[in-house]
Amino acid sequence: MNMSATAAESGFNLEDVSFAYGDHVVLEGINLSIGAGEFLCLLGQSGSGKTTLQRLLAGLERPSRGRVSWAGATVTGPGIDRGMVFQDYSLYPWMTLAENIGLALERSDPSLSSAGRRDRASEYLNAVGLAGTARKYPFELSGGMQQRAAIARTLALSSSALLMDEPFGALDPVNRAKLQDLLATIWREATPRRTVVFVTHDVEEALFLGDRVVVLGSGPGRVIGEVAVPFPRPRNRSLLFASREFHLLSETISDHYHSDVLDHLSPAWTMTGPGEGI
Amino acid sequence: MRRFRVPGWEAALFILSLLGIWQGVTTWVRLPNPALFPSVGATLKALAASLPELFKGTWSSFLILVPGYFSAVVLGILWGLLVGTTGWLHRTFFPFARAASPVPPTVYIPYAIALLPSFRLSAIFVVFVGAFWPIFLNTAAGAASMPARHRDNARLLGMSHVSYLRRVVFRAALPHIFSGMGVGLALSFILLTVAELFGANAGLGHFVQYYADFADYPRMAAGILYTGLVTLLSMGLLELVKRRALFWVR
Repeated sequence: MNMSATAAESGFNLEDVSFAYGDHVVLEGINLSIGAGEFLCLLGQSGSGKTTLQRLLAGLERPSRGRVSWAGATVTGPGIDRGMVFQDYSLYPWMTLAENIGLALERSDPSLSSAGRRDRASEYLNAVGLAGTARKYPFELSGGMQQRAAIARTLALSSSALLMDEPFGALDPVNRAKLQDLLATIWREATPRRTVVFVTHDVEEALFLGDRVVVLGSGPGRVIGEVAVPFPRPRNRSLLFASREFHLLSETISDHYHSDVLDHLSPAWTMTGPGEGI
Repeated sequence: MRRFRVPGWEAALFILSLLGIWQGVTTWVRLPNPALFPSVGATLKALAASLPELFKGTWSSFLILVPGYFSAVVLGILWGLLVGTTGWLHRTFFPFARAASPVPPTVYIPYAIALLPSFRLSAIFVVFVGAFWPIFLNTAAGAASMPARHRDNARLLGMSHVSYLRRVVFRAALPHIFSGMGVGLALSFILLTVAELFGANAGLGHFVQYYADFADYPRMAAGILYTGLVTLLSMGLLELVKRRALFWVR
């Protein structure tokens, strides 16, 4: 195997991937490489199959056609080398935070005693700014704190890939910004860096976090645009949002994004019968 | 979930008025057959006098109720979790469960008594059958209606299947399981006492039947009152366990 093949195979690789539920085609002919250590943001309107794409990377679904590979091997199911954070219900409500994180530690470090797991769980909670919450239950925490704990759990898995499906979508703007900063810091400070695939429908969030933004179009889901994000890190939100480059990139992405939205609205303008297209 | 409420003054007043009406009717109304209508005082006196016998009867009844009900709890939950999470088992077993569960378990009593070597065993069997269906059906429904996210997380965390059933599906299905256990417990008491009316020589149902046969209606009424209290306390205990176990359900 030559060097370039190794580099291309070390992250995620999707070759002509399609996915369908029965007759409903969700994704069609996706070709995408995500390098090891890359922070990739997937942007798309609802129905563009961005969640399905994530689930394929996680191994929670298998493609109907094509091949999904991770670190050179075909993905055949979930593995603890790929952690995932959902928008909600990532934690089990009947377990304390320490127990939730303990589930990950049981797999990532089976030699740990239960006391050792408790200590390590507290360390991971400290790392996401949740010191002293090990014995708390998820329902005792705000949504932002629950998402922090969910991130701590994937860190405890020691996964080299982090799949995040609109993880901050249900949070208020302040908590959202705080968690974006936390995620950016965790990602930047790890060596080697984790491969992150971050699904969102917020252009600013994608540009603030990502190395690259891939825009998915809908009906069926396919890649309709791709933008490399050149901004140096650590990124300063207020400087970034004020910069000209940010606005240019943001417009480029929005153009892709909106052309897809308009594509799907236009057929409804020509109604052939009363109530059609509604 | 609604918080547990100690019955308020309205409920207490209602119960006191019922007792008052009862006492009033038996004292002042000229009844055609007064022996059939024991007064509150006579019933309470009979209750006090029968307590040792009633305790013994409770013990005898519980020797039927506890093994029957708890084997139904254990098997109903285990089988419900398996059937609720396994496609082919669900397809195979559920139609049968739909057909078999509505059969009133009381119709099994005569055959169970004929088939099994002792009355106690047949009564245990009937209680088991009666409690099994609601517990099984609720557990399976709870397991099947669990949010898909819980399963995704278990897969992402690489949980073993047994661990997944025990730590995820079981816990997620617990609210359903407890409603099944409640229905099952109420049915168990009904079946227990009905079975005891048939052929027992001890127990709560037997106590009521025995003194009714001798036309000792104060004792019979005391038996009914006492059985009601035991049922109420058992249901209350289950409710308490449920509240503790379901602390995370808001």
